Amino acid sequence: MKYYIISKIELGEDESLKFTDVGQTDDVNVSNEINEGYDSTLGKFTGENRTKLELGIVKISTFFETTDYVNEARTMVENVDNLNLNAITNVSEL
Amino acid sequence: MASATKGNQTSNKSTPGATFKQLSHTQNSGSNRVIIAFFQISNGNNKSFTGATYGGDAMTELYIINRGGLASRMAVYYMIDPPEGANTLRVNFNQQNWNSMSFYARSFTDCGGIGAHLKEGGSTSPHNENLTVENDSLIMMTCASNAAIQTMQIPTGTTVPDINHTTNKNIGVGAISNSGHSAGSIPLRTTVNNNNVTLDAVEIKGLSGGGSTNNSDFFLVM
Repeated sequence: MKYYIISKIELGEDESLKFTDVGQTDDVNVSNEINEGYDSTLGKFTGENRTKLELGIVKISTFFETTDYVNEARTMVENVDNLNLNAITNVSEL
Repeated sequence: MASATKGNQTSNKSTPGATFKQLSHTQNSGSNRVIIAFFQISNGNNKSFTGATYGGDAMTELYIINRGGLASRMAVYYMIDPPEGANTLRVNFNQQNWNSMSFYARSFTDCGGIGAHLKEGGSTSPHNENLTVENDSLIMMTCASNAAIQTMQIPTGTTVPDINHTTNKNIGVGAISNSGHSAGSIPLRTTVNNNNVTLDAVEIKGLSGGGSTNNSDFFLVM
């Protein structure tokens, strides 16, 4: 059985990303919908600015000036018994 | 006298956006526990790994290799007798990492430890190598290429499932023998479409191959 861990991504300390696990799903459609949301927002920003972010020319806080957080679901596990995460069946539950 | 028992897997492809990446990974309960982790990052701006921990304790570095032709650095870390249950698996970098990375871990129980390994650079597909292992060992493989990974074969001729991560390159991880091998030289193969592909392999020993007896149960029959 495969489960997708849903992570909430926020602005962390020192211009970094902070990941917090907020749920899990075994529905690939739910994980795909979450990842499409990530790809069109934070994923797009980091993709366009990778080198500048690494060189400190662009700051990630710029992105979070207009967005509080983004979700991503690209962690796959086989066991969620000990993770204490709610099962998510619809993105609206997040 | 048996192969290691395959346990939980955790895999992730994402942009760390920090000087580390960490995930929760659940180590299965049992004796002779081992966890092994495979990582791949872009080597842009001379990025590299500076260590990995599980449950806050340092893991042992098996190798870190720079793959200049693939603009990548790949690493394998492991821990003997890691703590059971859900713990944080963390890999650290020498600077903030804003490129997508490949992160994979698998747990074992009844495992005799980590044995032989090889880490061969890009070669025209099909890339063939051999790894000499002890009786009952499993083999895990990872590979990288500019092209999409087609197959990972353990042994050659037997395609095993793998997880594909598209980071700055195409990465295949999680490939593992279906069952233990007999002692000797095991042919291995990775394939991509009309391109070069690397081939890394690690021996996961069974208990017949020796290893720790920590946490084993012994019974004296009178």
